[in-house]
Amino acid sequence: MNGKIALRTLSVVAGTAALLLGLADILVWIGGSGPFEIGFMQIAGDDFFRWAWGGAVVACGGLLLIAGGLRGAGLEGRARALLGAVLVSLIAGCDIFGMICTSIPAGEESEAFFNSVAGFIGGFAPPYTPAVLLLPFMLAIAFFLLREEAT
Amino acid sequence: MRLLDRFFSCHCSGGTAPDAGCDHEGTLLLIGNPNVGKSALFNRLTGGSATVSNYPGTTVDVTRGSLIADHQVWEVIDVPGAYSLEPRDAAEEVATRIVAEHPDAVAVAVLDATRIERGLYLLLQVLEGGMRTVVAVNMIDAARAKGVLVDTAALQQLLGVPVVSTAATTGEGIRDLVGILHKAQVANLATVRDRLAGKTPQTRVNLPGCAGCGRCG
Amino acid sequence: MTSLSMDERWSLADAIAGRAVRTGVYTRSLADALGDLTISPLTGIPVAFAVLYAFWSIFSSFAGDLATDGFMVKLFDAHWLPWLQSVWPDPQSILYFLFVGDPAADNCFEAFGVLTSGLFVSIGVVLPAVFIFYLTMTVLEDSGYLPRLAVLADTLLHRIGLHGYAVVPMILGLGCNVPAITATRILETDKQRFMMMTLIAIFIPCGAQLGIMLAVIPESVGLVIFTLLFGFALFGFFFSRLLPGENPEILIDVPPYRRPTIENVSRKLRIRTMGFLREAVPFVLLGVLLVNILYLTGTIDRLSSALAPIFVVWFGVPPETVGPLVAAFLRKDLAVAQLSTIPMTAYQMFASVILVSIYFPCVATFVMLLQEGWKFLGGAILALMTVVFLYGGLIHLAGMLLGVA
Repeated sequence: MNGKIALRTLSVVAGTAALLLGLADILVWIGGSGPFEIGFMQIAGDDFFRWAWGGAVVACGGLLLIAGGLRGAGLEGRARALLGAVLVSLIAGCDIFGMICTSIPAGEESEAFFNSVAGFIGGFAPPYTPAVLLLPFMLAIAFFLLREEAT
Repeated sequence: MRLLDRFFSCHCSGGTAPDAGCDHEGTLLLIGNPNVGKSALFNRLTGGSATVSNYPGTTVDVTRGSLIADHQVWEVIDVPGAYSLEPRDAAEEVATRIVAEHPDAVAVAVLDATRIERGLYLLLQVLEGGMRTVVAVNMIDAARAKGVLVDTAALQQLLGVPVVSTAATTGEGIRDLVGILHKAQVANLATVRDRLAGKTPQTRVNLPGCAGCGRCG
Repeated sequence: MTSLSMDERWSLADAIAGRAVRTGVYTRSLADALGDLTISPLTGIPVAFAVLYAFWSIFSSFAGDLATDGFMVKLFDAHWLPWLQSVWPDPQSILYFLFVGDPAADNCFEAFGVLTSGLFVSIGVVLPAVFIFYLTMTVLEDSGYLPRLAVLADTLLHRIGLHGYAVVPMILGLGCNVPAITATRILETDKQRFMMMTLIAIFIPCGAQLGIMLAVIPESVGLVIFTLLFGFALFGFFFSRLLPGENPEILIDVPPYRRPTIENVSRKLRIRTMGFLREAVPFVLLGVLLVNILYLTGTIDRLSSALAPIFVVWFGVPPETVGPLVAAFLRKDLAVAQLSTIPMTAYQMFASVILVSIYFPCVATFVMLLQEGWKFLGGAILALMTVVFLYGGLIHLAGMLLGVA
């Protein structure tokens, strides 16, 4: 029982974080005043699709996580929380895929086609988008939810 | 508009003369209790083409539309929700009259999967009337949520009319429903009672849309 | 026809129910709950947003960042072009101009020869775009999500007189308009089919166009797509009111969710990509050739000066856009590429891209429409002319009001 309550609390907390960060994405895009950075996190806020649309998805994922956590240990709650985690992970996944796509080629200045291994890894250095920072928590929540289902 | 009419003659607009490959099949009556999702089902079948009008002499609304599928046209009438065809109020009165006025129509009996008994009562009255019937066990998604399972194959074999499960809100089963309209059957209640008592051997065919009436041999 | 008493009926009903209904047998699983969440409007819409976002993000990351900017540009500009320029004899000859392009050009875009721009556009930009588009679309299709998206879209599209399943040809059109036109055969009435075909041919940009737009005007792509979709909705609404005919419901088959299999996906992907290549490459090469010939013979200049008043006054774009507009008949991506070489303001670029997109279907789509029936084609062209003038003028008006035109 304790584990279930811990999971639901995590869901609500992570959901709130996602909701706030998603809204932040949208606000930075609306403001248009360039990248917003705190520590490891960076919100570029330049591209409509990533920040307005994608930010809205992250915010909705947050809402689903909160709703799922509050709904209780039943099937409906778990499904909502899982869906919320999936939505945020989807955005994070797309961000990571984007990082991969920009790190594979060598870049305009260099003669070579492929980036060096060091250069490739360097492409993944911080700062990260909020969704990517939330990703570990999302994966943890999804993992525990699925494990609960299996038992 | 005339010029455009000739340019874009729609083969299947219900009013004009049928063109090659387009047949006016007949009338469908959606019959069922109130709140079984009949309107949702009606919308799924007819889309935006519905017209609402008062049944003459009453304040009861009757919604009509057309269903066009595979180049066949059905007129669809959403019969007002009724619990019984022995009318006790205005809506049931209108429902009874519409049923009486369309003896050749195909009755689509819409049941709520989570409250089947009430719907079965009305269904039996429809079958007694001798109309060709198909059964749509609707709100199958809500039933699943409550852990209720409706064995449509068993129902079909018992009644001798096609039975499909549908969820009008999500669109599940709608295509199947349209597919079996042609196989609507007139039921024989004496045979139904025999089958319940275990007397007549039930056909073992379990194909969707097969009424299990044994007539196809 | 037996007639029962009330009691007899009730006991019969109960007996039947007893045989047919079982409670507590079916336990709902997490998968079922998730599936229902994707359909119900409140939770389903965020899911649809997320899916569409992923669709777009993967497309632009793979096609834009990885394939084109990452490799193709380098391959073509740093290797192919210099090699071709060194190998082809007589830089001043007509053949050189036609096939290799401007001798002073240092990238394949601006060179505008059949073998330089032609190959670069079709293989360097369009091929990766089409590939990744078809990959994501096939996965989406095989997973069973597409019909559910259609169900969700149903209420929205009803407002403009279309049905949810119309979203399928629309999405297909984003890859290439040609199969999308064929896909409209799932619609029942002539009016619906005509509406969809025309709206797709006019307002839905194809993957090739999207790829080029990403490469050339990345910052305006969102706005272009939005304007096109808005036009789709706007004119769709009017068409559905003005055109006679019925608009019956489309019955959607909603299959259970499935895991897409690698064999199926790769098979469909291979067929679609190869088909696209077979049609795209020859037309692009032909297009460059023809446009170059027209330039050489001075036809473009004459057309330019003749149509200049309309272009400048009504549409607000420079008269040089006539050249690309001619090319747009052959292939839209080529036209956008040409547009980028003409100096103009950001607004003019935006307006000309829109014009290129809506003004005439590319020849492949043209042939498709012809196949569906010359009546459809005629009607489509009529509709097209009307839309171009009305919408083009409207955009110019909006631009003037906003002070950017």
